Amino acid sequence: MMSLLARFRQGMQAAIPIWVAFVPSSIAWGIAAQRHGLSFNEAMFMSAWVYSGPAQFAVLGPLAENKSAMQVLVAGFLMNLRFLPMSTALTPFFRGVKRIPLLISSHVVSASSFIVPYVQFQKERASAESAAIAPPPENGYRNLLFFLGVGITSFIVWVAGTGTGFGIALGFSHRFDEALQFILPGYFAGLLVVEMKSLPMLLVCLGSLIAAAPGAAVSSGWGWLVTAIAIATLVWGVEQWKLHASKSF
Amino acid sequence: MEITRFQIILIMGFMALAMRALPQLFLAGRQFPEAWDRWLRYVSYGLISSIISVTLFVSGSQLQTSAATRRALALLVAVIIARATGSAVTGMLIGALLTLAVGWFSH
Repeated sequence: MMSLLARFRQGMQAAIPIWVAFVPSSIAWGIAAQRHGLSFNEAMFMSAWVYSGPAQFAVLGPLAENKSAMQVLVAGFLMNLRFLPMSTALTPFFRGVKRIPLLISSHVVSASSFIVPYVQFQKERASAESAAIAPPPENGYRNLLFFLGVGITSFIVWVAGTGTGFGIALGFSHRFDEALQFILPGYFAGLLVVEMKSLPMLLVCLGSLIAAAPGAAVSSGWGWLVTAIAIATLVWGVEQWKLHASKSF
Repeated sequence: MEITRFQIILIMGFMALAMRALPQLFLAGRQFPEAWDRWLRYVSYGLISSIISVTLFVSGSQLQTSAATRRALALLVAVIIARATGSAVTGMLIGALLTLAVGWFSH
């Protein structure tokens, strides 16, 4: 069986595309923070302590313009609300792990460090089920180490990138902005489509993809979040209804 | 009382940590009912799809109409390549290169 260290390394290897994606976006954040007048310490502290690209970008304007603290905090809260379902979805895979390691490791939950381990755990669970193998008792720690291999290294890249971006500030050519901006969403889309196995999942992904933009136009904080949850719940509800209907006949 | 920028970041970080940590602390290892597990999976995939859409097509609360077509094209190509090759990285790289090429040619 794979050692725990090897499991951490496996997570690190799976995170390499995230590092590639994090380098330009963290540098962009460092540049933006510097341009908006944040100090080096504030930019680094925000990257290390908040560690949430979308929320950091979302509050940068209001923070720099010294808008009310409540406005900044509400915007940050709305952007970070997505961590709640992501973190909840990971919890069944950390069976038997003590609370202190869970508390510490939860800091590196992000959209990227969620989706890569989540897809991996789903794949492993499906292959264990198809081979009728009972999961080993230390499964929670093995999964946590994979998660940390992804999460910690991505976190380090994010914080280091912020410092670098702050330092080089305006030195990066804007000609590459388009391609750099595509890396992370392009990788997420690739991960989803490779793992896509059912019609309901396709409907959830397509529906959310299409509805997010009008949703964000109605409310930049809530819109995309509400539409994603509403579409997922709608598809799930129809599926549940069909399941019940097929059972009752 | 005046709240400094540093204090705002500190509170924001605590709020983010609460979102991340509360499910880990109180639900870890719990095997959810199959229906709930499926709902969580759909919500997670829905959120990721929304993030893709908002990152590529929205700025603030405005649809980025000028860039939407070429980014949608790059996304479509990335998705097709990823599906065909079974590699998300290959799809992402080709999509990024296409974005770069289309952007340069259009200037």
